[in-house]
Amino acid sequence: MKHKRMDISELKAELERLHGPSFGWALSCCRRDRAEAEEVLQTVYLKILEGKARYRGESNLKTWLFAVIRKTAITEQRKSLLRALKSIPRANSTTERSSFAAEPAAAFERSEVRERFQRALECLPARQQEALHLVFYEDLSLREAADVMGVSIGSARQHYERGKKRLRESLDREEVDYGVSWERKENPGAVS
Amino acid sequence: MELAGSEKKIQALFRELKLEDERVAPGFVRVWNRAQATSLRPRRAFKISFAVATALLVITLCSLALWSRNWRRGQESNPGVAGGSATPDSTPPSTSAPPPATPEPMQLGVAEPRNRARSNRWARKLAARRQAELTARNGAIREAVAISSWQSPTATLMQSPAHDVLTSLPQLDRSAAELKSFLPNTPK
Repeated sequence: MKHKRMDISELKAELERLHGPSFGWALSCCRRDRAEAEEVLQTVYLKILEGKARYRGESNLKTWLFAVIRKTAITEQRKSLLRALKSIPRANSTTERSSFAAEPAAAFERSEVRERFQRALECLPARQQEALHLVFYEDLSLREAADVMGVSIGSARQHYERGKKRLRESLDREEVDYGVSWERKENPGAVS
Repeated sequence: MELAGSEKKIQALFRELKLEDERVAPGFVRVWNRAQATSLRPRRAFKISFAVATALLVITLCSLALWSRNWRRGQESNPGVAGGSATPDSTPPSTSAPPPATPEPMQLGVAEPRNRARSNRWARKLAARRQAELTARNGAIREAVAISSWQSPTATLMQSPAHDVLTSLPQLDRSAAELKSFLPNTPK
């Protein structure tokens, strides 16, 4: 299926619409590191502005954008690994990271249930985490998730099923009280 | 995708996580403007990898040029290879007076077509150069021999009559009589 190609202003409007989910996906790709996720997102926008990442309308914009974010995150992680090996401190991100770390309130606001859930999620292999995130968090179909992950739909399904099973087991071990967490008032539409 | 049972619970947890992320997400305009500012920033015109590649290329070209020059010089100093039939029976290097350079190539050029005449001229030039080199080399050899065998006219004055005594040592296993004879000035 061919999608409509866009000029930069149209693309910008679409990117703005998808900014929230994009940031969530970047967070997931960066092991929930907010500074790194923001940097990745900025690099992605830069790539789009410079024409290094070009949307040709071959797939859904969201799928394309998520694939670009995923690749950029992997590249950035490689770079930061190299930087760590060379022990060169990063000029910009350290200051930003410290500014994020200086938000104790945000850290306290996280509920214990969410903390446990995140811990359980982090225990999963990267592919399984990605599959679950794309399906449950971004509401993508398995085919779209497979496109983003760059794998076949069968493979994506396998990651999804295994991830779900392991997450369930891990949550059971952690004794997460679903009854409290998913019937919260601020998220009433979660279970219907 | 239809979800059931524990999947719904997992989705609820994910939604909660999403709400939290949306709360802390940076504004689109801020991230976009930063990306735009980065794209407008002038790029470093000098790339290290490019410089290294250029340097390597220059070094390779220079060494190639030097090598080809040396090779050509070697060809020229060896007329058997360079001139072909230029001086097939050229004289070996010797200390005798060099023969005149012109006659041999001139003999080859007799009744030959025009291009042959040109090659003869070239061979003659080469032979002349070779002769000049030989003469210079022989002269240098002669000078080196003369310098190495040179002795000062006053060198004999530097020798003393007691040279043998001064330069030799008595051996410990010699008898006393021999020692006395060895040292003639000792009182008896």
